[in-house]
Amino acid sequence: MINRRHFLTTVAVGTASAAALAACGTGSSTSAGETGSAENPVTINYTWWGNDDRAERTRKAIALFESKNPDIKVNGNFTDFAGYWQKRATEAAGGGLPDVMQWDLSYLRDYGQRNQLLDLGTVNINTDAFDKSLLPSGQIRGKTYGIPTSTNAFAVYYDPAKLASLGIAEPTGKWSYKEFNDFLTEVGTKSNSAIFGSTDYTGVWWMFNIWLRQNNIEAFTEDGKLGFTKDDMKKWWNTTAGLRGTPAIITEERVTQLAPKSPFGSNVTATEVTWDNFMAGYLADSGAKELKLVPPPSDDPDNLGLFLKPSMLMVASAKTKFKDAAARFIDFMINDPEVGQIFKTSRGVPASKTQRDGTTFEGTDKLVVDYEKSIEQYLKDAPEPPIVGFGTLEASFKRVSSDLNYGKLTIDGAADAWFKEAEDLIKQNA
Amino acid sequence: MTQSPTLSRRSAQSDSPLPRKSRQRGADARAGYTFLLPWLLGFIALTVGPMISSLYLSFTNYNLFEPPKWIGLDNYTTLFQDERFLQSVGVTVSYVVFGTPLKLAAALAVAMLLNSKRRGQGFYRSAFYAPSLIGASVSIAIVWKAMFGDAGPVDQGLSFFGINLGGWVGNPAMTMPMFILLTVWQFGAPMVIFLAGLKQIPADLYEAASMDGAGPIRKFFNITWPMLSPVIFFNLLMETIHAFQIFNSAYIISNGEGGPAGSTLFYTLYLYLRGFSDFRMGYASAMAWLLLIVVGILTLIIFRTSKSWVHYSGDAK
Repeated sequence: MINRRHFLTTVAVGTASAAALAACGTGSSTSAGETGSAENPVTINYTWWGNDDRAERTRKAIALFESKNPDIKVNGNFTDFAGYWQKRATEAAGGGLPDVMQWDLSYLRDYGQRNQLLDLGTVNINTDAFDKSLLPSGQIRGKTYGIPTSTNAFAVYYDPAKLASLGIAEPTGKWSYKEFNDFLTEVGTKSNSAIFGSTDYTGVWWMFNIWLRQNNIEAFTEDGKLGFTKDDMKKWWNTTAGLRGTPAIITEERVTQLAPKSPFGSNVTATEVTWDNFMAGYLADSGAKELKLVPPPSDDPDNLGLFLKPSMLMVASAKTKFKDAAARFIDFMINDPEVGQIFKTSRGVPASKTQRDGTTFEGTDKLVVDYEKSIEQYLKDAPEPPIVGFGTLEASFKRVSSDLNYGKLTIDGAADAWFKEAEDLIKQNA
Repeated sequence: MTQSPTLSRRSAQSDSPLPRKSRQRGADARAGYTFLLPWLLGFIALTVGPMISSLYLSFTNYNLFEPPKWIGLDNYTTLFQDERFLQSVGVTVSYVVFGTPLKLAAALAVAMLLNSKRRGQGFYRSAFYAPSLIGASVSIAIVWKAMFGDAGPVDQGLSFFGINLGGWVGNPAMTMPMFILLTVWQFGAPMVIFLAGLKQIPADLYEAASMDGAGPIRKFFNITWPMLSPVIFFNLLMETIHAFQIFNSAYIISNGEGGPAGSTLFYTLYLYLRGFSDFRMGYASAMAWLLLIVVGILTLIIFRTSKSWVHYSGDAK
């Protein structure tokens, strides 16, 4: 029989000891100090987004790092891109960001400006082998919050085999918007709508950004406002006004059905305008033997508006207890030639010259490297990190463009809707 | 527990029986609360606490990184100028208004079929109940998406009859019918409750009605409906509240975006996007509280109207 007094005492003792245990837990987990030794290594947490392929490569890189640095252990963890930012947001709110993280340019300001990231200028990381025009994209107000691992550039992908079967000549990449549009229409008409020309490229934020630069406009001003007007935006969406609903452009219904796979990867479009490091993914998705890259169109043949963007950055948490270990790991990931051999172009083309020269590129990896070489003369400085909340704006740009293609919005209505959201967001984060 | 106060009280009040009874009740209550304690602590720490803090956050501008800034009713007033918010309200209301009655009708119809005495009824009951067990799961949403996609079984089946709609998933006009079908298909839970209610109706009522020459339709409206009305009331309430909370299937079928063209932007999905993609926790909290209030008011309205149509046995009606 349960004696009430006895039972209550047990409960009380149990609760107290649980509380005491919890107290012990927090007490004992604090680190001994900033640096470790081979006998007593420190453990840093590293997190990244990506697929299984990247996870496999990252594990190899971590093993290599640990064998070279016996005083540091790296605890790796990864998720997909969308879930990645939701996780980071909750961790930052709780003050527990991982020590080292793979990062995206779109979110650099959100976290850097809010003092969540370590100023990497205060620790020892070698950036001598970096192109000086690239580093500013990891800097905000004179502080270095991120260092690029690699670069990517915008390009038009096409499948030569598909064009050959339709009897269409391969593009040279020297084309105006009109010529590009005519090309897309030709693909759609000659294939009897079996293959569409492309997705509506005006729905891609970065292509809009490139078009702005071709017209000598910066997307964002230094004080975090919009650098372009509603009319610019309407003009941009008007570029493909004559193509929407024709075989030149795939219908939004189809795009939605195919998601999360891209129409190009699903072999229903002949071209796609996007980042050049998607090559491996497209090859795997489409099963094509070969894919080629040419520059996107421009109405000014001397100004293609192109730039190398950091495809990803390495950052550290402002609250890390192991600054030295974090810096050594970042230095290793961005500079070590053997890391280049592990990742090839799957992160983009290595940004550090030491790493790039130490990597052998073959097959498709070579195509990507060659493309970035071929556009070298047109490259301008990388844009500054976009404004706080840019991730949201990029998503709403895509959504509004999609509504435009569904015919739910007119071009004027789409521009109004996007500007309203953008102005609200800028006000919110001011 | 110290023994002495109890002893002294007992000695002082030993001659009056009433306080002893109440003391006994007090002791029972103490024991009751002790056993409730684990749940109660969880309820306060994990439900009431966060609710109160979300009420506070709904009056602030909070982006998870910086301390919340008090902005009064701003979140609530901007809500009504936010076109995406209004769209999400429209989507959710049409889902509740069309989905819930259809689901209940399907549940009642199947429950009546399964109520008759036939061989193998146990098997049929389990078979019809099964979808509601798995219906809210992630895997079913993925299967549903494939079924209603381009060249999926639904599209092909309809083409056989000469109806060419294409895939439903990418067509803004067809996504709502698809979601309503998904919820109707999960009629199992209300069906089981209806079935239990139908079994409570005395058979002699139907016998007497048959003697008087009543047909099946007459029997349904004059016997089944009034006798079952408390159960209908309960199911209506639960399913309405449940329908407002749709999230999983909407998130998966639209890749977490509420597309195509915002046609699946359910209330909870927009709330989630605002909070966790746009980092506007204050705004999301305001949305959560507005939903709570609206669902509360609706529940109250359903309760009020119930007086005129719900019949409890023993009532003089």
